[in-house]
Amino acid sequence: MTPILRLENIYKRYPGVLALDNLTFELNAGEVRALLGKNGAGKSTLIKLLSGAIQPDEGTIHIDGSPVALTTTQDAFKKGIYTVYQEMSLVPDLSVAENIMLGRWPLTRWKMVDYAALRRIAEEALQQLNITLDVKMPVSRLDVAQQQIVEIAKALSFNPRLLILDEPTSALAASEVDLLLQIVRDLAKSGRAIIYVSHRLAEIPRIADTVTILRDGQLVDTITIAEATPQRITDMMIGHEWTRMTHANVKMQDNAEVRLRVSNLSQEGHFQNVTFDAHEGEVIGIAGLLGSGRTELLRAIFGLEPVDTGTIEIHGATVEKPSPRMMKSLGMAMTPEDRKKQALLLIASVQDNLTLASLDRLNSYGIISPKALTDAAQEMIVDTQIKTPSLDVEINTLSGGNQQKVVVGNWLSIRPKILLMDEPSRGIDIQAKEQIFLLIRDLAKEGLTVLFVSSEIEEVLDVADRILVMNQGNITHDLSAGEIGLDKLMALVMGGTYGGIHNE
Amino acid sequence: MNNSLSSPPQENNLNRERVMRFVSSSGLLIAVILLFTYLSVDAPNFLSSRNLLNIMRAVSFSGIIACGMTLIIISADIDVSVGSAAAWSSSLLGVLAIDLEFPLIVAVIVVLLQGALIHGIAGYIRTRWEIPAFVVTLAMFISLRGAARLITNAYPITPFPDSFNFWGGGYVLEGIPFLERGIPVPVVFMLVTFVIFYFVTQRTVFGRAVYAVGGNEEAARLSGISIMRTRLIIFGITGFLAAFAGVLISSRVMSGSSNIAEGLEFEVIAAVIIGGTSLAGGKGSIWGTFLGVIFIGLLSNGMVLKGISPFVQEVVRGLIILLAVFISTWQRSLQKG
Repeated sequence: MTPILRLENIYKRYPGVLALDNLTFELNAGEVRALLGKNGAGKSTLIKLLSGAIQPDEGTIHIDGSPVALTTTQDAFKKGIYTVYQEMSLVPDLSVAENIMLGRWPLTRWKMVDYAALRRIAEEALQQLNITLDVKMPVSRLDVAQQQIVEIAKALSFNPRLLILDEPTSALAASEVDLLLQIVRDLAKSGRAIIYVSHRLAEIPRIADTVTILRDGQLVDTITIAEATPQRITDMMIGHEWTRMTHANVKMQDNAEVRLRVSNLSQEGHFQNVTFDAHEGEVIGIAGLLGSGRTELLRAIFGLEPVDTGTIEIHGATVEKPSPRMMKSLGMAMTPEDRKKQALLLIASVQDNLTLASLDRLNSYGIISPKALTDAAQEMIVDTQIKTPSLDVEINTLSGGNQQKVVVGNWLSIRPKILLMDEPSRGIDIQAKEQIFLLIRDLAKEGLTVLFVSSEIEEVLDVADRILVMNQGNITHDLSAGEIGLDKLMALVMGGTYGGIHNE
Repeated sequence: MNNSLSSPPQENNLNRERVMRFVSSSGLLIAVILLFTYLSVDAPNFLSSRNLLNIMRAVSFSGIIACGMTLIIISADIDVSVGSAAAWSSSLLGVLAIDLEFPLIVAVIVVLLQGALIHGIAGYIRTRWEIPAFVVTLAMFISLRGAARLITNAYPITPFPDSFNFWGGGYVLEGIPFLERGIPVPVVFMLVTFVIFYFVTQRTVFGRAVYAVGGNEEAARLSGISIMRTRLIIFGITGFLAAFAGVLISSRVMSGSSNIAEGLEFEVIAAVIIGGTSLAGGKGSIWGTFLGVIFIGLLSNGMVLKGISPFVQEVVRGLIILLAVFISTWQRSLQKG
């Protein structure tokens, strides 16, 4: 049988990275292939390649045995390849039917939208999925799982032969996942090939026939689902090159002061009954997948979003109405996940960005002394090793790593007691990453309490003294960094079985 | 080695940065100087101290409000209600001081405070329910003008005591030869307002918070800046200034009138925009607004002196706004390289 898809010796280079390294890959009709790998292993690059968003530097793509060039997304559609991305592409105020056929609405003789035909097509697409939905309903009134189904129905309206699903379950609750998995199985039975990207190990055996593992742009191996134990998968994802950074994980003394105590914190749909203590000088890493509730938890602790139940105590006193302003006055700081959207004034100078949080400190009676501002900014430039031509340049002229250091410096300037960091290393170079983490370790020695979230499991192991594993809104494990290896931690984070503690 | 490799482009960047900043901060200043020079040479009677002081007085009311409007626009909002707010304040002053015979000073204080209060409420509605400021202030633009006509029956309310005329129509520093009659009092108020607001935007925590809220509201919130408090103060100040301008205009025309300050909001917004403040928020300056106010004053005066038809004047004023924004957008695209 000729495979539907064959990639041959594909290379893709980006400045400083070999994103895909001599990749050869085959997929047959009716097959569901799980594609696994850590962040940066090359999964996204591969998907972009297949959807026509980027082109390989070398190598060929064959469809049904003949070589093709996928230079635009339209090319990919025509060749029967359709990708459903993590971020939904639906227009909230348009109806289900209008979304399914977006940009391709059938027209009447008078060039008006032919709603009867539109509804019929949409209903047919949903029928293929054995789903009944009111196709006239606006998408905004559907829940996330239903929206995901509309996305897939939209994909099916292109009648694809290869369907790529990029982490389709990351936003779904466990009960909704079942329905989606069933739909995917049915699609495979009808002869379509499916590439399924997911970090949730537990769902892989229920959906995939075969598993391909990528690492550092290379295809490690493709194995059948029977061979794919969590242990084997994580081993292949990690490889054996990893060695831990040489810092001694500090074991907290029993009498160390509790700086932050979170008790039974719940937020509907995001996390439940989260309870933990954070001590003076302790660095805690929260390891969890996208959608595990990790970001929502940090935001709730910082008072950005209200919680349904539970309390937050700082220095033993319960915070009655948490707000960022209140939390800051209690010595808490937070660097958010998306520095451009949430942390930086992109059109303002480095100095303005470095002093935003500490303005409250750098004034007397509301009046700022320019010298105090410059001095504070200068101090942080030195402390966080920011490389910038001057304090006055616009922040968006700096590299990602230096921008991130500015975000960190802005908060260190308030001299915080507790620092929350959401994905502090996202999109920054290795050197900046190391500098930021070494700085955090140094500050922890001086007593700073740090709570950080990272998708990079190695990073959590490297930097944290203690690790909270978060899975679908629950803290499933509270571990000392010394007592767990990378493979086991990764299995726990992905919801695999390890020690029989947690499944699903 | 690394350092020596990377320093030349950085230096280039720095020079380029300096040149760009000079051009973008001084472009309007150069335009003002050119316009001034041209009118001095070519427009009859332009270069007399009386004419120049008249120009200043003509822009003083919009200049005072423009200081508040600059804060509004830097914070990525807009306020189209300031003209109506001034007319309402003038009418209320007439009703309080003349019809109800409040002591004048009390009436003035009440009017100034209600100006801050009404705008503060608008700021609250805008922030609490995230209703666009354009919509909130458009509603006020319409209903405050209506309310002003309602309480005055659309007739000017007179008479104020003669001494009241000093604030909007009087002069200080009389008798100095070059100044002839002296400096109009509202011009003094305008200059003082500009100095205060220059200080507020550059040197206070509140001023920096205005830029932060407009530049990236989420980042400001995450940095522990209270969005509500900041917006309330911005709107409150602008309402106060609109009421203050309403009082000064009442003094100038010596009546409480619902028909003053029509179209004033757009003159004010035009000055702020010409002054380089970005409607997208986060960027702008009081100095720029001052130049914008002066530029509009010179342009209007020059066109009058040159005998240009008032209808053509309107067309020109409209196109100048477009041109100003076009230039600053173009500069920004240059900066991005």
